[in-house]
Amino acid sequence: MEPVIDARVFVVDDDASVREALAWLLRSRRLHSEAFESAPAFQQQIEGAAGAPPEQACCLLLDVRMPGMSGLALFDWLIERELHRAIPVIFLTGHGDVPMAVEAVKRGAFDFCEKPFSGNALVDRVEQALALSALLLQARRQAARVRVRQAELTERERDVMRLVVGGLPNKLIADRLNISIRTVEVHRSRVFDKMEVKSAVELANLLRDDPS
Amino acid sequence: MRQDAPADSGSSDTSKLLLPAPQSASTMRRRTLWGVLVLLVAGLLAIVVWLAGIYEANQVQARLERDVAEAVGDVRAFFEHNAQGLQALQHADPTPNSWVIDASAFVREHREILRVEWRDSSLRLQAHADTPFRAPAFEHQGRREVPSEVAVACANARRFSGPAYASSYFVSMADGLGQEVMEFCLPLQNGTKLAGYLIASYALRDVLESALTRPMTRNYQISFTEGDGTRLAVFGSSRRGSRVFTARQLMDLPGTTLVLRMDSWRAAPDLFPNVLTALLTAMSIALVAVLGLLGEDMRRRFRAEHELADVLAFRKAMEDSLVTGLRARDLQGRTTYVNPAFCQMVGFTADELLGAGTPAPYWPPESGEEYRQRQLVRHTGNAPPREGYESVFMRKDGSRFPVLIIEAPLINAQGVQTGWMSALLDISEQRRVEELSRAGLERLQATARLATVGEMASLLSHELNQPLAAISGYATGSLNLLRSEPQDGAAIAAELGVALQRIAEQSQRAGKVIKSVHDYVRRRDQVREAVAPQALLDAILPLVHLQARQLSVRVQTEVEAGTPSVQCDRTMVEQVLLNLARNGMQAMDSPKIPERSLLIRVRALQTNGSSKKRVEFSVADQGEGISPEVQQQLFKPFFTTKPEGMGLGLSLCRTVVEQHGGSLEFAANSPRGTVFTFALPAAEVA
Repeated sequence: MEPVIDARVFVVDDDASVREALAWLLRSRRLHSEAFESAPAFQQQIEGAAGAPPEQACCLLLDVRMPGMSGLALFDWLIERELHRAIPVIFLTGHGDVPMAVEAVKRGAFDFCEKPFSGNALVDRVEQALALSALLLQARRQAARVRVRQAELTERERDVMRLVVGGLPNKLIADRLNISIRTVEVHRSRVFDKMEVKSAVELANLLRDDPS
Repeated sequence: MRQDAPADSGSSDTSKLLLPAPQSASTMRRRTLWGVLVLLVAGLLAIVVWLAGIYEANQVQARLERDVAEAVGDVRAFFEHNAQGLQALQHADPTPNSWVIDASAFVREHREILRVEWRDSSLRLQAHADTPFRAPAFEHQGRREVPSEVAVACANARRFSGPAYASSYFVSMADGLGQEVMEFCLPLQNGTKLAGYLIASYALRDVLESALTRPMTRNYQISFTEGDGTRLAVFGSSRRGSRVFTARQLMDLPGTTLVLRMDSWRAAPDLFPNVLTALLTAMSIALVAVLGLLGEDMRRRFRAEHELADVLAFRKAMEDSLVTGLRARDLQGRTTYVNPAFCQMVGFTADELLGAGTPAPYWPPESGEEYRQRQLVRHTGNAPPREGYESVFMRKDGSRFPVLIIEAPLINAQGVQTGWMSALLDISEQRRVEELSRAGLERLQATARLATVGEMASLLSHELNQPLAAISGYATGSLNLLRSEPQDGAAIAAELGVALQRIAEQSQRAGKVIKSVHDYVRRRDQVREAVAPQALLDAILPLVHLQARQLSVRVQTEVEAGTPSVQCDRTMVEQVLLNLARNGMQAMDSPKIPERSLLIRVRALQTNGSSKKRVEFSVADQGEGISPEVQQQLFKPFFTTKPEGMGLGLSLCRTVVEQHGGSLEFAANSPRGTVFTFALPAAEVA
């Protein structure tokens, strides 16, 4: 009974027994979880990673009512760092906190779950949050990759690439850059190699995903 | 003053503005009628005067006719009388000389006779005698020969064999005047043979003078005329006057015919020829005058009525527009007047209210006696407060509402008090606002009191949620494990053991939470103190009365004398009493309940020595009672019949009472409603 899915479920709850129970429940569905006893403990974890989102699909089960920093305060903190999309948040609420939780959902939380929760429904939502997180992670990685490859291009190659994506034929590019068509063709094939694409259309698609 | 001025001007304005056409038409008609009346009276008067004038003229004429007939008779008789006198001259065969003496005597007696002659049958003059009263008339013409008139007369006399007259003729006199003379001839008989004639010459004017009586000659002008109206002789006074009445009568004398004419002068006819007419006229004038006065009076009365009607209409409009209810009652308490606002206020029609005695239909039945007392006090002469007093009235549908009554004695024009006038204001809206603010305050206090409970509930739910969430997690996880594909059985058993262990731990934890609540409640036992029952009631009564007024409930409290203090948690027991009182009042909040009274009663329970003394509290309402279905669930937490209720009240009450070692019981109240009863231990007397 080892978690097989490469994902991290963060649990922030001041109550140890709830933390343990949730971890146990998630483990029964083969999900790895990390428990934090308070909001600041989780903040430390994020800041330890230099504020970057985790490199796996993840989600946060967040208790609303905690001594010290409340769940909502932590959520605000995540919004400030634009991490609330990378880490989908599922609030755990008591009966009286529902309106508060609804408000949080409107502001971008993934969902909320009333305590005492019916276990598997919560895990189902956790899995959906993880799937969303995974999608976002993949998109982020793709973008990162494109950025890395773009960084490998020379100045002239980058110019040629911009014009190729702009849809200009080689002759016009040569005129525009005041170089020979032959040189343009060389640059063009290098760009395609470095960007790991086979055609101008593929290149344009790649760059459109990450306009930076 | 300020009220009257617009009333007057308003009334005149409206009459001018609204009724111009009928006003002028009626004026016209009235004037026409008056004109016709005056014309009729004037016509009647004129006819009466005219008829009276005619009547009077006829009267005068008739008298004149009668008089003239009399005069003719008189003259005729006079002539005959003279004829006899003349006849007498011939008595005893006189000689001419002796005859002259007799004749002279005769002539002296009869001044109308100018001359008497004795002639023989051949008309020769035998003797004559002249009147001594005037110059001899025939001197200058001499009468030797026979004048023609004499001849005619004598011829007639011979023919008739009796006295006869000749036509008159004018004899001029020496003085230039003259007179009308008529000859009379009397034949003298000697046996059957004609012996001669006696001739008498009458002066016609003197005939009139002598023959007629004084009164007649004084009143009339009498004349002889010929048939054609020529006046021969005139006698009598001629008077001035515009109207002349004339009567003629033919006087047939043998041989000639004369006409006797009498003229009566009347002054211009009097406007009122006689007393009757004058009286009639005066009465007519008086009648018209009276009618005129009457008409004027009627017009004044009509105007007064009109103005009165206007003022009344104005007053009525004023009363109808009022939102203040007005009610008048006589000294016996019967309603004699209500305005529309009052009818609207209480929902009864004016017909239902007028004449209604006590209790009035708008008195709530539970307060009837109190109101009657109040009325009695009022009627014994205690004037009500000028600023009014508050009371509660009942609408027709049974709902109660508070009113402010301002009452003043109703004094009639003779200065005698005939009843009471009341102005009534429906102050339910005002009261509601007050109530709202008061209720807000009360709610605030209640909230403050309940804050600990609310906090506790919130805390409790969180404290219980945590272990429950954990238990749920372990249980679900365990199920997930059991459902997953078969693995190492021993490993799974170990996992499940851990989970079950945790579940047990969390259950215990939840139990601890519950126990801590129980401990909290138990700790309240420490604060029990001895409290006098009256103090408990006093603490809640302000709040109870507040709601009672809102729901028109009369609240009564009865604390049996000598009831000992009770040992209790004061706050909790107050809450229980307040809760029960409120439930009771809310049970009566229905229009179907006529008698709304709540009785809170405290009495010492009789003890049989062994057990401790106890004090019983009971709260009795007159509501609709509790149905059997509801009774079964009555004390269940979260069961409620009120839309906004939470269902904790009675269950908490029972818990509190039970903690005090008593039990909360309920039974049907007589004749209706429910009684909730609980007993608390009496405090130890130190």
